[in-house]
Amino acid sequence: MNRSLLLVVGVILVITSLLFLGKRMSQDEAQASAKSGATPNAPAFNPAAAGPETGSIAPDFDLKVLDGNGKTMKLSSLRGKAVILDFWATYCGPCKIEMPWFVELQNKYGQDGLQIVGVAVDDASEKTISDFTHKMGINYPILIGTEKVADLYGGLDGLPTTFFLDRSGKIIDKQLGLISESVIVDNIKKGLASGGNSGSTPAAGQ
Amino acid sequence: MKIKPLASLLLAAALCIGLAAQRSLTPAPPAEKVTFEPLNTITVNPAHPAPLRLLFRVKPGFHINSNKPLTPELIPSVVHFSLPDDLVVGRVQYPAGQLKSFPFDPTQKLSVYSGDIVITGRVIAPPHAATGTYTVHGDFRYQACDNNACYPPKTLPIVFNVKVGAHSRSGPRAHGNSQSPHIHN
Repeated sequence: MNRSLLLVVGVILVITSLLFLGKRMSQDEAQASAKSGATPNAPAFNPAAAGPETGSIAPDFDLKVLDGNGKTMKLSSLRGKAVILDFWATYCGPCKIEMPWFVELQNKYGQDGLQIVGVAVDDASEKTISDFTHKMGINYPILIGTEKVADLYGGLDGLPTTFFLDRSGKIIDKQLGLISESVIVDNIKKGLASGGNSGSTPAAGQ
Repeated sequence: MKIKPLASLLLAAALCIGLAAQRSLTPAPPAEKVTFEPLNTITVNPAHPAPLRLLFRVKPGFHINSNKPLTPELIPSVVHFSLPDDLVVGRVQYPAGQLKSFPFDPTQKLSVYSGDIVITGRVIAPPHAATGTYTVHGDFRYQACDNNACYPPKTLPIVFNVKVGAHSRSGPRAHGNSQSPHIHN
């Protein structure tokens, strides 16, 4: 009797394990296929597979502000605002395309509670980054990224990588690569509309 | 004896669970956007340089900056060698970049490489070089993008062997092991 029961349990365990293993392998293959760039125009990695999940609170960090005289900015200090977290680099062509849109959108939605934050994930010197941002007319804070923060956000294997946060700091969307301005605007509106009312004004330099 | 099928089943289940767990815990390494085609051993005689031909393959759908990108913030593709004392690589020549614009900015042309890239040079063994086979290490630094995103700069290792033939005027001497750059452009 006991042996029969054990046998049934064993069979169930084997079948469950095989199903789990099969599912896991098909997920891995799908990710490998996305990473391989089999579709030439597709991003080479699946952002949904890496980094913090949509719906979770964005990992906090405290990063040096570019041209900020040593000041730092903590992401959590922006609670109460909708935040666009734009990871970029000076060598990244697609990142440059988005920047004028961000400048315009910061002007347009800043008073409603939008804060755009650029995080430079770059080998270039701070002077190079600073010259670049001045040339681009950036009107929002640029932070100097670190490997630790890159790891917190899934490794940032591709740029730009953009996280959209609502007023509570929750991730409402994340995108790898250049996206259309309309997608950005839609996410700004979502971010401003959710996660609570506008709260304290954020400050660079804690 | 009767317990064996049951034990086998439980063992199989344990193995499957273990394998599945291992797969879920081991992240797949990021795929390389550029690969290096291995070289056959290059034979060189003192005073008779041998041609060097390095073939790199850029994966379809990606491009990398040429050796001379058009704007200073772009990272050029560059090859470096660490050479034994008895070898020199000279006249390193990069192909001209293709001038292309991409969907992320159709108004701007970039100087890029895509597909196969051949970088050439000459391997030179000075007259004092000792005979024998040397392993040359080096790397290829590049920064890749596709039509939608860019990827952090990467350093791809390069390894090839160089056989220094018999010396016509003086006998062989011991190999020097130190690795120092001897790059003559």
